[in-house]
Amino acid sequence: MNRIIRKLFSNASSLVGIVLLFVFIIIALLAPVIAPPLSEDPYQIPRMSWDVNPQPPGFSMSDNIRDIYDYMGKDLKWDISICGTAEGGYDIFYGLIWGTRTAFRIGLITVAVASLIGVFIGSISAYFGGWIDEILMRITDIFLSFPFLVAAMVLTTILGRGLDKVMIALITFGWMGYARLIRGSILSAKEETYVMAAKALGVKDIKIIWKHLLPNTIFPVMVQGTMNIGSMVITAAALSFLGVGAPIGYADWGQMVSFARNWIIGSPGHAGQYWYTVFYPGIFIVLFVLAWNLIGDTLRDILDPRLRGEL
Amino acid sequence: MIKNKKFLLEVKNLKTYFFTEDGIVKAVDGVDFEVYKGETLGIVGESACGKSVTAFSVMRLLDYPGKTVGGEVVFKGEDLLRKDETEMRKIRGKDIAMIFQEPMTALNPVLTVGFQISEALMMHFKISKKEALKKSVELLKKVGIPIPEQRVNEYPHQLSGGMRQRAMIAMAMSCDPVLLIADEPTTALDVTIQAQILDLMKSLLREFNGSLIMITHDLGVIAEIADSIAVMYAGKIAEYADKKTIFHNMLHPYTFGLLTSIPRLDVEIKRLNVIPGIVPNPLHFPTGCKFNPRCRFATDRCKKEEPPLIEIEEGHLVRCWNVERVAKEVKKGFLVGV
Repeated sequence: MNRIIRKLFSNASSLVGIVLLFVFIIIALLAPVIAPPLSEDPYQIPRMSWDVNPQPPGFSMSDNIRDIYDYMGKDLKWDISICGTAEGGYDIFYGLIWGTRTAFRIGLITVAVASLIGVFIGSISAYFGGWIDEILMRITDIFLSFPFLVAAMVLTTILGRGLDKVMIALITFGWMGYARLIRGSILSAKEETYVMAAKALGVKDIKIIWKHLLPNTIFPVMVQGTMNIGSMVITAAALSFLGVGAPIGYADWGQMVSFARNWIIGSPGHAGQYWYTVFYPGIFIVLFVLAWNLIGDTLRDILDPRLRGEL
Repeated sequence: MIKNKKFLLEVKNLKTYFFTEDGIVKAVDGVDFEVYKGETLGIVGESACGKSVTAFSVMRLLDYPGKTVGGEVVFKGEDLLRKDETEMRKIRGKDIAMIFQEPMTALNPVLTVGFQISEALMMHFKISKKEALKKSVELLKKVGIPIPEQRVNEYPHQLSGGMRQRAMIAMAMSCDPVLLIADEPTTALDVTIQAQILDLMKSLLREFNGSLIMITHDLGVIAEIADSIAVMYAGKIAEYADKKTIFHNMLHPYTFGLLTSIPRLDVEIKRLNVIPGIVPNPLHFPTGCKFNPRCRFATDRCKKEEPPLIEIEEGHLVRCWNVERVAKEVKKGFLVGV
């Protein structure tokens, strides 16, 4: 374990990933300080104007909205759009900061739950073999036969809008890879003599899987999971972009790119006039996914026996 | 064998087949033997003659495609083959324990030695982790591992081959089993370590008054440790007798071949005897006696009829048609010093 951590820090690309990830973690943790919420629900992006057109960076909150805050007796903690506003006056900076929390939530929860399901099904299937294996693997095949994005879209549409629904959809169609991966590893590991030795000592099957097999086989799943955190966030963003993800106004990077959809090319004669609407959320998504992929890549290099010792 | 001794394990007509795609492989085909209390049974034979499969069948540790299709394994008066998996698990490790051939692979690389020893203790005796670890240290001390307090927290790769086998023995002995099955425990070790491990096993057995089934192809090991010996060939017992009889009055051509192929210090032989040919493919056994293509005593009868296991004298069973001719050859002056 120490060796892995040391290697992660000594490798240039993984160091970039770690630094990026660290910055994102700080942003997520300090979100209430960096961008204090203006309403009760911090994940609701405050609107700076009622205007449909995006407003450029440095835009100050419009008077009619100021009046509402005055009327409600709330003092404005801030009133300048640092990164401009998206379509409908939603503040981009606020969305970015609180969207970081959303991204972590989507990425970590979906990957954690999906890999748990996958590891459970895959290890049971591989260890017991026979008809259990047959049934579980055919179920896995059925789930694998759906195109991921389309299946997730359909399921979110059925379940309704909302981030939790998105996560359910991503988990439902995201566990199969882990199941296959762990099944393969356990199939080869269970032939090892130490498994036979443990059986000969009377150790229970569940304990053999949990204590003897998983510690020997879990690393590929961890690598896969790390890499998938990024892609899960991308898929959630894609769903939001297509309008079946987060509810309108929810702090989510995908939704913010979706707000930019009509403004990407700018206005006639002013190409790229509204660059900030797509640039900021876009760069956040890219950097977030990049961070996880860099770390996952290095993890894979470290744990790949063929590359071991060459790093 | 002396009949009035009490036996601990009695295997009757054990049949274990492997159902492969190419056909049924009769790995163990009607094996009988007994293990007496406090005694050691050696099972000898070439590779792939069914020694290990016999051991695994007794422990019921075979997975698909291997299956024990017939026979009885009577242990303490009960047939193990009729027990369900839960009952069997309580017997494994506690009453019958096993030592494996490769100490390098039989210990889990990601778990500490102490954990692997205490695991069985915690399961069979329902004791706390702390007590189990304390007992593990004692066990490691007993099997002669220096600084056991430190070793108990180490991983298998930090131990040498001999120490790993000692740790394996500690694991197997942890719950005071009455029967120990050792599947070639010394094969992967060098000769000096082999001798140490054998000494250790002998002294532990004396201490526990336990029985041992020693599976090996090394006749030197058998001579060292066994009380009675079963010589296996192609899934069946070829000859079964006490140690002295096997080494001095062997009556099966295969046993004869095995013993004459060992280099000796006291007799000058120009060329070492070999048994011609290889173990037959279990899918295509020869008709008649399975040893006949390699046997220099073989007659026409051997090619047609398979000989039964006959009790030639009390406690000496041989599966051969030509016992008299082999006996004559043996008397001609071939003797192995035991």
